[in-house]
Amino acid sequence: MKSRLLLTVLMCLMTASVFAHHVLGRPAYSLSDDSNTPPSMQVETQIGDFFVTYMVFPAFPQPGQQGRVNLYATHRDTGKPFNGQVTFVIKDDKWFGGHKETLGTQNIDDGVYRQGFLVTNAGDYIISAQFFSDEAPYTIDFPLKIGQVSGIGPIGIALIIIVSVLIIVSLMQRKRLLRGKIQVAHKDAT
Amino acid sequence: MTMTHPGLPFSWQILIAVFMLLVSVWAILVRPPAKARYQGWSLEQMPLIGLLVRFLNSSPWPLLFAKIIMVVIFVTVIFAGLQGTPIPERNLATVLTWNLWWAGLIVAIFFLGSAWCAICPWDALATWLVRRRLWGRGKLNNSLNLKVPKWLRNVWPALLMFMALTWFELGVGVTLDPYATAVLSLLMVVMATVSLALFEDKAFCHYFCPVGRTVGYYSQLAPVALRPLDPDVCAACTTLECYHGSDKVEPCPTHLVMGTLKENTFCTSCGNCVQSCPDNNVSWHLRPQSVEVKQDARPNWDDAWFMLGLLTLTSFHGITMLPFWYDGISQFGGWIGDSGRLLLSFSLGMLLIMFAPIALYAGLVYWAQCWTRKAIRYRQAFSVLAFASLPLAFSYHIAHNLNHLVRESHDLWTLFTNPLGVGTQPLSMMEKHERHLQMIISQDTLFLLQGGLMIFGFWLAIQVIRYRAFALYSETRLWVLPIIFFAILIHGFDLWLMAQPMTMRM
Repeated sequence: MKSRLLLTVLMCLMTASVFAHHVLGRPAYSLSDDSNTPPSMQVETQIGDFFVTYMVFPAFPQPGQQGRVNLYATHRDTGKPFNGQVTFVIKDDKWFGGHKETLGTQNIDDGVYRQGFLVTNAGDYIISAQFFSDEAPYTIDFPLKIGQVSGIGPIGIALIIIVSVLIIVSLMQRKRLLRGKIQVAHKDAT
Repeated sequence: MTMTHPGLPFSWQILIAVFMLLVSVWAILVRPPAKARYQGWSLEQMPLIGLLVRFLNSSPWPLLFAKIIMVVIFVTVIFAGLQGTPIPERNLATVLTWNLWWAGLIVAIFFLGSAWCAICPWDALATWLVRRRLWGRGKLNNSLNLKVPKWLRNVWPALLMFMALTWFELGVGVTLDPYATAVLSLLMVVMATVSLALFEDKAFCHYFCPVGRTVGYYSQLAPVALRPLDPDVCAACTTLECYHGSDKVEPCPTHLVMGTLKENTFCTSCGNCVQSCPDNNVSWHLRPQSVEVKQDARPNWDDAWFMLGLLTLTSFHGITMLPFWYDGISQFGGWIGDSGRLLLSFSLGMLLIMFAPIALYAGLVYWAQCWTRKAIRYRQAFSVLAFASLPLAFSYHIAHNLNHLVRESHDLWTLFTNPLGVGTQPLSMMEKHERHLQMIISQDTLFLLQGGLMIFGFWLAIQVIRYRAFALYSETRLWVLPIIFFAILIHGFDLWLMAQPMTMRM
């Protein structure tokens, strides 16, 4: 049971994703009609004994721009907010390697854990919120896109696959045709 | 705050329920004729529309032009998805793909059959890449032309792909993710291209494509189909250009012979047969919507499973858009110890919702079998009677999709002029309310269409049960009761879904 609580919620399978109310764990972009604040990104999810909501301000932070994460964690059964310390870590959203840095450790403030951030380089990042409850570690990962990042990657991969297949097929076909011609020539010779 | 669309009013629910009961009683009491009689009409001979059909049939250029337009839109969708805003309602990729195309496609089948497959952009791109020409017969050495392995020559792969698509759509939430939508579009191109490069003809369209197979099965209920103008000409034909192709025209991509063609399932409406026929004997026909599913379509085990899969997955779509789905799956996740995005809970829920109606159907077919005491194999009865699920799925699917189309697809001009959503903000609550109120047609008209479709679907299903079951057992009528019971339960459930408020997609 305890080991089950060692949860890493990877909600960043697809970067720049968006949330609807019936799809858990998808970021949603919303605009507050009551204020002039820029849109925020919000994600709700369920982890172990907790319902977790985190919000990022602004929704589309730019390099060098000050941003903030708000994290709410309430117990699933009692509805009480988690009361402890939450450590926020930021890392590059890369398959291999990547830089990792601790943003800070925060105490609860009026039911919210607030963490500021400032990133100077555009790119895809993951912010991890880590805490312990009942001696069980919780890690919640969520994506953060800073600035405009090129989305050419999938097109490149698709092109590489298609071109490779077409070249291989073309070579095999040429070989097959050549073999056929040689066989015909052999038959004619004999 | 979650925005919901209102469900079908109570008066419509009562009307449809009463109709269902009356028709069911009628089906048990009245013996069906042995064979449905029908007459098809060539669309070429009809005023006005005949001009259009003759123009489309005159040369490959109109179709090629339509394909090029579709490919341009498709590439724009991919580019917008990868480079545009992640706000789904402001990005062309998500709105056009899921609110307009995916919802509108099912409605289009109701009028145009499998016409979508003729202008399918991923097939067009794959064909151009592999054949290396825009139209006409390509060099053979651009594809290995392998035969599809026997174990893959069925629609099981397409059913699995359709389940996977549903999982991505509703579980992972691709519909709300422009980037993932673009990646999915690219994936379709890659799969279609690799399949065309490896296998002979259009194996991807025939066996693997979840969209193509969905279109194919629903097209059995379409009022239009490509058929011979004069069957005697086909009967006397010895060259079979429709099947083999000609010097300039590719053969039928799914191995169909026009002279014996009786079902739309695997026809991709590509028009190769129209272009290649030396006697100009192939064209579009208008026909009654029920004839193919009632008697002409051949029953197969895998076809039956696909049709039942369509039925359950369409209902599943509706269930996931109920306002309490989110809480229910969250609760379920808590019970089984699922965390994060609750994909395990979602997957189990999806499988359970798919399994329950199919198990019910299997049991009721078994009951019908026991009742008749006929020496008919269970597998055959299962395959034949599964045709009844098609009109049930189709009618609910269209009625459900009309909600998306009518209530969520306006302001497209803004999207086309700014496909990437540059500089846009998320929809404010006021804008959401405005969208909710600004419908393409009035709400009463929408309810009329939805109610009419539900009535039409049940009527067709009952027709199918009567004809198919009579052809199967050819005697007493009471054995149709279990299958009618199945139709009432499933359609009743779908009617209940239609009556519930539905969560807005974005």
